[in-house]
Formats: sequence, structure tokens, C-alpha cells
Amino acid sequence: MSKSSLVCLCIGSMVLPLAAGAADPSNSGRITDLHFGNALDLRGWGVALDLPAQDGMSLLHPDMLRTPSGALYPYPGEPLAMQQADNGWLYSGSFGGGYATTFGDDDSLWFNQYSDWGDDFIAQFSFNMEHPETGRFAEFRGTHQNEHNQFYRLRAGQAGRYRVEAFYRDVPHLISTNARPIWNGVGTQALTLPAGLPPGASTVAQVTAASLAATRRTLRVDRTRAGVSIEGELSRRFTGYASLANEQREGTRLWGGSMFFAFIPGTGGVNETVRPIDFSTTDTALGLRYVGEVWRANVSYAGSFFRNRKDRLDYESPFTLTTVLGPAVPPAGVISHGQFSLEPDNDYHNLRIELSRQLGWNGTLSLTASGATMRQNDDLLAPVTCTGIGGIFIAPGVDYTFNCADWNTPAALSQRTADARIDTQMVDLRAVFRPTSSFGWRASLRHYEEDNKTDYLAYNPLTGQYGYISENGSQGSVVPGETGIFDPGNPLYASYVVPIRNVPFEYTQTTAELGADWWLGRHSFGATYSFDRNEPEHRERTRIDEQRLMLSWLYRLRTGGTLRLSYEIADRTGDAYNHDPYHAFKSISLPGFVMPPGGLTAHTTSAMRKYDLSDRRQEKVRAIMIHPVGLAATVSATVYGNYNDYDAAIGRRGTWTTGGTLQWDYQPTEKTTLNAYLGYDYSHLRIANVADDEGNLGPDPSLGGPVYPLANRWTEDDREDSYNAGLSLRQVFGQQVLDIGYSFVYTQGEIGYDYDSLGAVAGTQQGLGGLIGNGFPANYYRLHALDAGLSTRLGERWTARLSARYELGRFSDFHYMGFADQLVYAHRVYTDVGPTRRYDAGMVALMFNYQL
Amino acid sequence: MWRAVFASLIMVPALWGLAGAAQTASDFFGAALPANPHATEATSIGSATCVACHSVEKTRFAHTQHERAFKAGALSGAGGGSGDHTCETCHGPGSAHAANPADAGSIIRFTSGSATPVAVQNATCIGCHEAGARQHWLGSVHEARGLACSDCHNPMARTSPEGLLAKHSINEVCSTCHQDVRAKFNRRSHMPLPEGQMSCADCHNPHGTLTRPLLKTDSVNTTCYACHAEKRGPFLFEHAPARGNCLNCHDPHGSNQQTLLAMPLPMLCQQCHTMTRHPNDLQTRGGLGGFSADERLMGRSCLTCHSNVHGSNNPSGARYHK
Repeated sequence: MSKSSLVCLCIGSMVLPLAAGAADPSNSGRITDLHFGNALDLRGWGVALDLPAQDGMSLLHPDMLRTPSGALYPYPGEPLAMQQADNGWLYSGSFGGGYATTFGDDDSLWFNQYSDWGDDFIAQFSFNMEHPETGRFAEFRGTHQNEHNQFYRLRAGQAGRYRVEAFYRDVPHLISTNARPIWNGVGTQALTLPAGLPPGASTVAQVTAASLAATRRTLRVDRTRAGVSIEGELSRRFTGYASLANEQREGTRLWGGSMFFAFIPGTGGVNETVRPIDFSTTDTALGLRYVGEVWRANVSYAGSFFRNRKDRLDYESPFTLTTVLGPAVPPAGVISHGQFSLEPDNDYHNLRIELSRQLGWNGTLSLTASGATMRQNDDLLAPVTCTGIGGIFIAPGVDYTFNCADWNTPAALSQRTADARIDTQMVDLRAVFRPTSSFGWRASLRHYEEDNKTDYLAYNPLTGQYGYISENGSQGSVVPGETGIFDPGNPLYASYVVPIRNVPFEYTQTTAELGADWWLGRHSFGATYSFDRNEPEHRERTRIDEQRLMLSWLYRLRTGGTLRLSYEIADRTGDAYNHDPYHAFKSISLPGFVMPPGGLTAHTTSAMRKYDLSDRRQEKVRAIMIHPVGLAATVSATVYGNYNDYDAAIGRRGTWTTGGTLQWDYQPTEKTTLNAYLGYDYSHLRIANVADDEGNLGPDPSLGGPVYPLANRWTEDDREDSYNAGLSLRQVFGQQVLDIGYSFVYTQGEIGYDYDSLGAVAGTQQGLGGLIGNGFPANYYRLHALDAGLSTRLGERWTARLSARYELGRFSDFHYMGFADQLVYAHRVYTDVGPTRRYDAGMVALMFNYQL
Repeated sequence: MWRAVFASLIMVPALWGLAGAAQTASDFFGAALPANPHATEATSIGSATCVACHSVEKTRFAHTQHERAFKAGALSGAGGGSGDHTCETCHGPGSAHAANPADAGSIIRFTSGSATPVAVQNATCIGCHEAGARQHWLGSVHEARGLACSDCHNPMARTSPEGLLAKHSINEVCSTCHQDVRAKFNRRSHMPLPEGQMSCADCHNPHGTLTRPLLKTDSVNTTCYACHAEKRGPFLFEHAPARGNCLNCHDPHGSNQQTLLAMPLPMLCQQCHTMTRHPNDLQTRGGLGGFSADERLMGRSCLTCHSNVHGSNNPSGARYHK
């Protein structure tokens, strides 16, 4: 790169923000906002009457050509006729409006999840203009389905010179259409119980009555996103780009709220609450690209700024807490108020430099360096919101109470703000050479690092104690001593193992790769070896190495199609596995910690292997075939398998996924297109776990020891079958276009389990005898969807389109078993009845379009 | 929201005006004609000769962004006044083809059965579309597996709203080969691709990136944070698998479980959580609603209590209860 180029690069970097202030450019390089559409206009093109071009693509071959891999190109459509204005501009456009209405069980979640159908006025437009002499152009299109589901997109510029874009879109996401929260204030930061449900003092019957009386609600999150961008040549070699986008995300989601366990009968309380969503995210990008004869460069900055206007959730719990000691020893106070910190504001900055140099042997050497930081410094909330006294008083000298005033203030914190920060660095060096037409090789070395700088100590300067009051004070009000604190000055709390620091998880990853490719006539082969070293901090392993060999074969069929096969085998190992690496972050690491008699209870079993760290052998195979059949049809198929074997006696043990797809595409003329597909996928996942013997807790972590006896080991298998099928037809009759599509999805998941003794089974279920069984009821999701549309010309400029969708669905998920009848189970109250079990619903829309 | 809309309204005309101040023409016009290895002696004949036979192609091409660029370049004289070589800018010098159209190698072709090696086809496209999002095309998995630019694009006709795609949309292009991925998007929980709200290319750059799955950012998580910025944190208390890789728990292409989870709860959590007391108990059908209810299984299972599983910013949130 010449000196002048470098100067230009620097000046451009400084000037661009002043000249532009918005945009991004590189199309497929941009993250998100590459496709604009919605359920009414899936492709986002807004074509009212998509008639095919009468003479196809060529006079020389009336049928359609195929891609180099063998797939048929679709017949092009007949574009709208361009009108000419006096000033040399050509323009075309269409505008339409109509109405959509729904029928049947149209409040079903599955019918509406991202479609949000309703009885709404709908609109659609597409407007294009261009000035051939200068290459200037503008395109403006949009579709309005309803106020929560619409997009508008403007692109304008000068061909080969610059382009500006602006967009606005609303995207719906329905979370539940059958939620029955008992609280007032849903959508706000404060959930309060209705009259008649005293916080912390309600009976199960009262909560049940309130739940039954609760109004059915829809929980949804709506996204509104708008942005502008520009990309333009600054000189022959330099292109600048910038973008600015903002997204508002508002609504509600299902959330939780624990007041300790409810599975110890009559003690704690479990609340499925509703949290607010009120996010704002502003994304910006700015960059400069250089393309020279020898050098290519890209310098870019990306920033993202997330703001949460509702960063906490306070809720009231109705349930009366009792201690595990029984009615004779009640909690010292009433614990009824819970609180969540919701996501903090955060800032993200990324600076990236990519340099590539053309080399001999048709080679390229690329160096990329990227540095980023994500930070937040939100005010921290107080550890609890309770008032009065919490905990349990047993007897003088056995006083496990705490004074809420010592903990319900930010003064109880060692620091008032989070001061959290993670920095990342990435350097990637790669070389690719294609010295001959039949051989090429490539090599790369990549280093990625995350540096977590967050350092928080859970220390209360008001009390001199470490840790925090657990679960809003409820845990210590149910179980004596399990307050959540460590106090070296108090014998009652001098032996409790509690978290006293954050764990700053971070890792370094280095990947080296070497590969070669051969092209020999109709065949091409590829072989790649990679070595990956991951060095996490504060995890069970400090080093994980994975070696991988990837082989590929491409065969170009004589029929014009292709067959692609690939196979991978990988072996992951690492250093010694430490099943409990967290001592430094617990009270055991503090001076004054008194080892309890008999030693520390084992944190977990030493036989456990977390699946992201464990030894693993992996094999993958995939075949993709595209096979032309005659001039007008294509058969394509995919077959795949993915096998993972984890070396774990406890933990994830293995996964196996296999499946295939088959598709037939047929387009005999420009007037007829027919597609059909079938698909099947099977996955199997195995885990093993071991229940501890709670009557025999001790320091021995070994599997087969007294804490984790082999008799308490259990295994679980998840098997999932997924079936897909579909058929679509597009037929043109003169000035009418008929579209019909049918799709079918059926998935079924079954979890089976096995155990040697009842010691493995949760205590709540040990007495159920045969009801325990050996598996959960099957989960399934079945959907038939039929789409139909008829477009017709009504006159020279008027067209109409009648479209409809009908869905017939069945669903079952054992997690929601019984919820249709009741949402309160002892000291548990749920909000979501669950997705629709069975429904049939549909939509009909009629739109009239006028063409300019 | 309105600030962004307002900014858009103000900025777009302003930017247009600023950028439009320069009145140069397309770089496509005037680009060097690509060499055809099968017709090294061929010479340029000009587009008018091509159109004599390929008139329909010209009509279809007229509605593409390519035509717009070439036309503007021609009118501005950027080609040096040597005539219109639009066709040959991509197809190479045409004299050999004009002399013997039946010879498959006489012209650079971009379709099935072409005698032109895919590498030459691609080099022709890259000749103008170099760098930027395609800076890492060479050596990428799609390049190494023999994909041609024209496997995904049809530069000769407009069949998609943007990008001159080989199908009507990005998702339809990708599913030509990745049919199994398309099928996963039909599952119970999925991102809104089938509903037309996003595309495969929102996360992946098919033209090559520095990651094996062609992600657009340096890591899986950074890609996810592009939309889910609230998950970025950092949080006071991080959850190791969430900070390490979102895919530890989620399948972004579709899942038979809630919220794209890779497997049912509480099984997902119990793969790792064998800690003493409540996490390591076998949950059975007896713990469902209607039997001996157990909150560790019902509804949102573990997440009913550990709701801040992606990380908590609460001083009492080490176990994500707060």
C-alpha cells in the first residue's frame, strides 16, 4: 500500500463520520437487516401479480438453464412497465390495499407466534425509479400487515457509485396467548398481589381462587427497528460506509420468582411471574475499504449500545413460609417480597482491521486483527428488599436471624456499581494459494481471547459478613443457617460455604488449520486438518485440545448435477479434570473459615464431565446431491449423520443425529412450477447423573462412594423424531396466477429414564410406586398448513389478490401437564397455561393493487 | 423509536445529496475483459453482436442492477469510448463464440455444463466484486467445496428483490443445499425465517468469513448479541456455558423444545448440574402436575427459580435467582 493510500485511509477514517454518519454496505457482510418481509409478504417483494416473462430467458433455449451445481433457475417474472418522466427518469410502481380477517382458534400461539394475524387493514406498495443516463435509482417498498408487523425500505443511489438505505420495521413475537398472571402491574417493574391475597400470608386456597379468577392475557414482545446506511466510493480505490440503527423492544415475558423450594411440603414458594421488556439498542458501524491491485484492506468500527428502561422486577409472593423444623419454630419474620435485577445497560465497541495482499501462485495472505470491549456499570441493587427481621430464631445462641435493614440498602455492598467489563482480542492470519488449476492449499492461524475484568466481592461493610442473603431471605427463613452468609466472627456462620466473589470466566482459543484441495476433471477433493486449543480460566479444565480431520469430495455428474460428500472426525482431549475449581470464589478461601467436623461436603461428584470440556470423539458425515431429471425437473437429496461420544460416566454421554431430505422441483414451462419435499430427522441424546445420599453427606466426591452411591446413579435418553413434508404448485392461467402450498410437520420427543434404586429418584416422587414409570409422556408438535392465493388482473392497471392460510395443529408438552385445569400446586403458582394443545385457524386476505 | 425515524428522515436526503455530489460512473464499465482459458485467441466483438442472438437475455438483463451500472458507465464514457462491452465484461471476448457457438468453451459460461472451470467463473465475478464481504471468499468452505457465484446468484435476471439471487429469496437459495436446516426452521421453536422476518444471511456470510460456520463476527456469542444485546452484559455473575457459547444450550436453527433449547428441561441443566442436594435428583413423570408436583420439572422447570440463567447483575444473584 502506498503512502498516499495510507494517508487517504487515515483521512477518510476521520472525515467519513462528518460526511456520512450512517450506513453499512457490504450486503452479506452486514449483520441483520438483510431481508425484509413478513407473513403477508414472505419474500418482501410486494409483487401484486407476478406473471412470468412470456419468452423465458432465451430464444435459444426456451427451458431454464441450471446453476453450475445443477439446480434450475426460476423463470423470471415480467417486470412492471416503466413510465418515463420529462426529466429522463423512468419509474414504475404499484400500490395496494385490502383487508385480512381470521377465523377459528385464531388466538392460538402457534398460529400467531411471529405472524400475528388479525382483523386488519393491509397495504403494500413498491415504487422504483431510475435515471439511465446517470445510473441513479431509488426503490421504495413496504408491506403493512398490522401496526406490529410491517416494513418499509428505501434504497437509493447511483449505480457503482454510492447507495443509501433507510428502513423501518415492526416485528411481532407472541410469547403466550394463554397467560393468567395473578399479579397486578404486569408489564411494569412492580408486581403486586390483588386484594385478598396478602403477601406472604395467603393460603393455597386463596391463591388458587385468584388464579382461577385471573384474566387471560397475551404476552408478547414487539420489536421496532429503524435505520439508515450509506456506502459510497470516496475515490477509485476507497469506499466508505456507515450505518445507524435503533431498535425498541417492548412487551412482557414469562419469568420466575423463587422463595425457596416448594417441593419440601409447605415450606417455600415458587412463582412464575411476568417481567417487562423495555429495551433500546442503538447500533452503529463505520468503515473504510481499500481495493488495490495488490492490497485489500477494510477498517471498521462497530458500536452497540443497549439500554434497559426497566432494569428490575419487584414482586410479591403470596405464600406463607414455614421452616423445615415445623410449626413449633416459625420464621422470625414475614418474607414476601422478591426482586430481580434485569439486564443492565451495556456498551460494546469493536475495531477491526483486515489486510489482504495478493501473492504469487495465485495466492492471498490475510491478516485480521479485531479488538472489542463490552462494558456496563449499572448501579447495583441492594441484596434484599425485605423489611424487619428474617431468618429463624431457634434459641438464644442459636439465632439465625438477620436484620433486613443491614441488607436492604446499597450501603450493604462492597461497591455501588457493577464495573463489569470483558475485552476480546482476535488475530487471524491465513494464506490461500491456488498455484495451478488442479491444486491449492491453505493455512490459517487464529488466536481469540476473552479477558473478563469484572471483580466483585460480596462483602457487607455494615455487618462485616461475606456472601449475600439468599433468595430474598427465604432460604434462611426455611432452613436454619442457610442464610447465605459467611461470618468468621460468628461460629454459627464460620463454616458455611457460600459464594463470595464473581467468577470471571474467560478463555483463550488458538486454532491452526492446514488444508489442500485438488480439482481433477469432474472430481475435486479437499482435506483439512485443524488443531484447536482452548484454555478457559476458572473452569474444570485449563486446557482442551481438539484435533479434526475434514475430508470432502465433489463429483460433477454427467447429467449436470453434483454430488458432495464430506466427512469429519475429531478427537478432543485435555488436561486433568478438576471437578471443583471454585474454591477461590467461595468462603472457604477466606481467613477465619472453620472447617466443619467431617470436612466439606462434596460440591459434586468427581465423575462428572461437563460436555463443553469433556473428552469427546466426534464423527460427521454429509451428502448433498442435486440431480437434474430431463430439462425441467430436479431431484435433490441430503443425507447426514452426526455422532458424538463423550467420555463421561456422569454428564452428557453421547448424541447421535441422522436424517435425510428429498426434494423434487419441476418447472415444465414458465406457467407451471411444482415442488415437493420430504424430510426426516432422528436425534438421540444420553446423559447420566447420580443423586447424592442426603442422609450421608460428606467430603467423598467419588462415584460409588457414600455421598454418590452407584445405586443412586440414573440415566436418561431423549429421542426425537421429526418429519417434514410439503408440496407447492404455482400455475398461471392467462392473467391469473394460482399458488397452492401445503406443509406438514410432526415432531415427537420421548424421554426415557432408568435407575437402580429409589435413592436416585426425587424425594417428592419416591412414594409413587408404579407411577414413576420409565419415561415421560411424549411431547409432540404436529402442524398441517395450507396456503392458497389467487391473483388476477381486473383491468389495465388494477389487479386483485385473494390469499388464505389454514392451520390445523396439535401439541403436547409434559411440562404443562394439568395446567389447563389448574395453575396452583401447593406453594407454586404458574402463569402460563402453555401453548395451544389443539387448534384450527385460518386467515383470508383480499387486496387490490393499482399499477402506475 | 421516533428519534431513529426522525434521524432517518433527515439523514437519508442529506446523505443522498452529499454522496451524489460526485458524478462518476460505474467501475464495471471499463473493467478489463476476463481471459477465457478455452479461447485464448478470442477478441472482443462488442455487445451489439451478442444481442443479435441473445435479445431476450438483454431484455431480462435490462432489469438488473448490473445493467444499471453498465448503462451509467457507458453513457458517461467511463469505458474510454471503446464501445459497449457489457456482455464481454463477464463472458470474456466473444469472437470465438460468435464463430462457433456450439463450442461450449468458446465463451465463459456460468451455468451447468459450462466448460469454464468454476474457479475461472468465480474469478470473473470477483474481478469486480472484490474485497468487502468477499474478502475471505478464497479458502472459504463454499469456495473449497466448488460452489460457483452463479450457484446462488443469477446475474442475468431479476428474480429476487435484492442481490440478483438464483431463487426468489436468500432463504430459498440456501435451502437448495441446506434442506435439513430449512426443515429445522419448521420446528416448534425457531427464529422467524419461515415468517419472512429474517434470513440465513443475517447471521452467516456465505461469501466467506474467518469462522468455519461462516459467522459474521468473531464468535458465536457476538453474532447472537447482534440481536440479543441484553444478553451481552457483562453481568456481575456470569453463567459459564452461556458466556462460553450460546450453542451450549440453544440450537439456533430450530428446536422441539421451548426457546430453541437443545433438549428438554431439566435434562439440559442436569447434564452438568450434579451438585449435592436438589439438582441431581431424577425427575420422573410422577413430578408432573396432577401427580406429586415438583417445580424442578413443571412449566419452565429450573428456570422458574434460576430465571437469570444468562447471568445476573444482582449482588445476590450468584445462582441466578435474583
